[in-house]
Amino acid sequence: MAKVFIYPATSLILSDLVARFGHKPLGAALGIRERIQTAGVDSPPLQITPEEPKRGLKYAAVEVPSGVRGRMAIYGPLIEEAEAAVIVTDADLAFGCMGCARTDELILFSLRQSGIPILELTYPSTEEEGVQFVAAIKKFLDGLEKGGEA
Amino acid sequence: MMADYTPEYVGTVTKYVFVESPSMTPGELALRAYEASEGVLIKETCFGLQVTGEPESVDRLIEVIRAFDPAHIFVKDRGFPPGDPRRCRANLGGARPGYLGHEREFRLLRYITHGLEELGRREGEAPEPVPPVREKKPLLDIKRLQELIETEES
Amino acid sequence: MSRKVRVAQLSCGPEYSGVQKEIYDAAESVDAEIFFPDIALADVERAVDAFGLDVRSADLKLMIARGKALVEGKVDADGVFIGTCFRCAEAAIVRNELRRYIHENSRLPVVSYSFTERTTSGTLLTRMEALTTIARRRALLAREEQTGITMGVDSGSSTTKAVVMKDNEIVGTGWHPTTEVIKSAESAVADALEMAGLTREDIQAIGTTGYGRFLIGKHFGADLIQEELTVNSKGAVYLAGHQQGSATVIDIGGMDNKAISVIDGIPGTFTMGGICAGASGRFLEMTAKRLGVDITELGPLAMKGMGKNVPMNSYCIVFGTQSLVNALAAGSSREDVAAAACHSVAEQVFEQQLQEIDIKEPVIMVGGTSLIEGLVYAMGQLLQTEIVVPPHSQYIGAVGSALLASGFIEGE
Repeated sequence: MAKVFIYPATSLILSDLVARFGHKPLGAALGIRERIQTAGVDSPPLQITPEEPKRGLKYAAVEVPSGVRGRMAIYGPLIEEAEAAVIVTDADLAFGCMGCARTDELILFSLRQSGIPILELTYPSTEEEGVQFVAAIKKFLDGLEKGGEA
Repeated sequence: MMADYTPEYVGTVTKYVFVESPSMTPGELALRAYEASEGVLIKETCFGLQVTGEPESVDRLIEVIRAFDPAHIFVKDRGFPPGDPRRCRANLGGARPGYLGHEREFRLLRYITHGLEELGRREGEAPEPVPPVREKKPLLDIKRLQELIETEES
Repeated sequence: MSRKVRVAQLSCGPEYSGVQKEIYDAAESVDAEIFFPDIALADVERAVDAFGLDVRSADLKLMIARGKALVEGKVDADGVFIGTCFRCAEAAIVRNELRRYIHENSRLPVVSYSFTERTTSGTLLTRMEALTTIARRRALLAREEQTGITMGVDSGSSTTKAVVMKDNEIVGTGWHPTTEVIKSAESAVADALEMAGLTREDIQAIGTTGYGRFLIGKHFGADLIQEELTVNSKGAVYLAGHQQGSATVIDIGGMDNKAISVIDGIPGTFTMGGICAGASGRFLEMTAKRLGVDITELGPLAMKGMGKNVPMNSYCIVFGTQSLVNALAAGSSREDVAAAACHSVAEQVFEQQLQEIDIKEPVIMVGGTSLIEGLVYAMGQLLQTEIVVPPHSQYIGAVGSALLASGFIEGE
């Protein structure tokens, strides 16, 4: 079972398919869950405290807006942990954790830099594309097991 | 105003279960899931369920639930426990941003359903399809451009 | 207890900057509640299309859609808070355009702010208080005439001012540097009463404003304790005799600056801030000290100089002071340096704040710095307009407080 970063990290479809085909999806929920379940200073709604953008300095310089650094504090460790990634490149309407285009650019760059196997594709818009979409993801994920990257 | 935060549901996982099926309503799904719950907390929602419990128990239950209707049930991790006031629509005055993201993907679920069903049928016979990649428009050949300009000018 | 004021939040990034709680806290402390206008995905797609600003970030699209829902009346609110990450260009464009759009197409008061992870509820408090005041006290803010005998006290970061008013006339004024908040206020009040020939017992209602408003408000048993944004707007248009229609109020204070777009005496949009003390009255005080003149002499001195002869950038008070020292060392005249300092402060306010509101004439300058004629001149040059400095402009907060306080006489 490989740890597979999903992009958009909030995607229901990718989270489902990665788990369905036997791997562990790494998405935003895992980062949020960790914070929600850790005691500390009260910082609703996401339990992201002002300390998080400072931790985000590991991934982006101080002149990068706090919202980018705060988000990177969630995604950075997940990207480091990932053994593969599935990326949907036309995820233009993913809000909240994925709602900042600059963060999204940095996430994609970090994934591509990391050297892990990556599948990039677009959302299906017809039934036949649906078949291709699912097949491509299944093939990619099956290959992870066979190749032993996991 | 710094206040301490004491988390609830520590060590649990919560998952969304979405059902997008002509033959099963969220209510029916909930009824069948309750029978197999074995201590996992189940909350019915307008789109399906939220299940919360020990990671292993939740995984087991999810496996059972998926088997009800594999191509029409979709599962996703959730960071918050069910009914958390920080994410509740009533408290925020509106849907949390993540809900709109789900809305975006709901529209596509039928293609995924079709993909899953079709893939099950084609298994072993059809050649594996390639991932759809957005085609780039081919650049106009420079000689062709020159021809076009000359045609316009004459 | 009155209904909570409902403030619609249009934002990108506060949850991820760790400052959403600060926004909640600031709202709660003025008995307001934050909410997020409810819309569906289809609304977002439609709204972004109609608005015509093609941004990449989905949360900015959400902001636009929520803003549109407010303007179109699909969602009810008493005020709007627009917040985005400091240093984000994409968000700054959306923040400004939305602020302008809401201002022009609705009567909702709007405050916009760009935050960092260091933003605290204290920083947001005055802005949030002004939003709720405008929503709650429209009737009070509509008052155009002072009646009876009232007193206003403005406890500012540099100076404390007191004014006694009687039958729509200023009959006494007092002014003291702020050292100990209550003591300075006592002195200013004593002077104002003496000048008016009245005693504390004659005063029928008291209003307080400024940083020390809560402390002195309690001390004097004030009828009205009010932040300086609404009070100064009111005071400015009252003193300038321009209570109806549009106006712009600029107040360059000792610690921060206010730029307020006013309609019929009520703030529409406003900004308050100053990234650094470089763009404030504090820098001019330092300049005067370094030039060996009293602050009251800085203005006339500046009028005799040519600012453009001296390079100066007071974005930061340290750098500003550095260029001041360098210029003097290089042989620049004191007049030129004074003029350059005035120009630099005006330029900073122009660049950092006046871009966030819509400038409508008349432009009224108030507060202690409005007496520095070199600064007023520099601002007029930048805005290409004749700046109005009303009489008693340095007492603006105290006058506004005294005026509004008269609404509390006879249980009004």
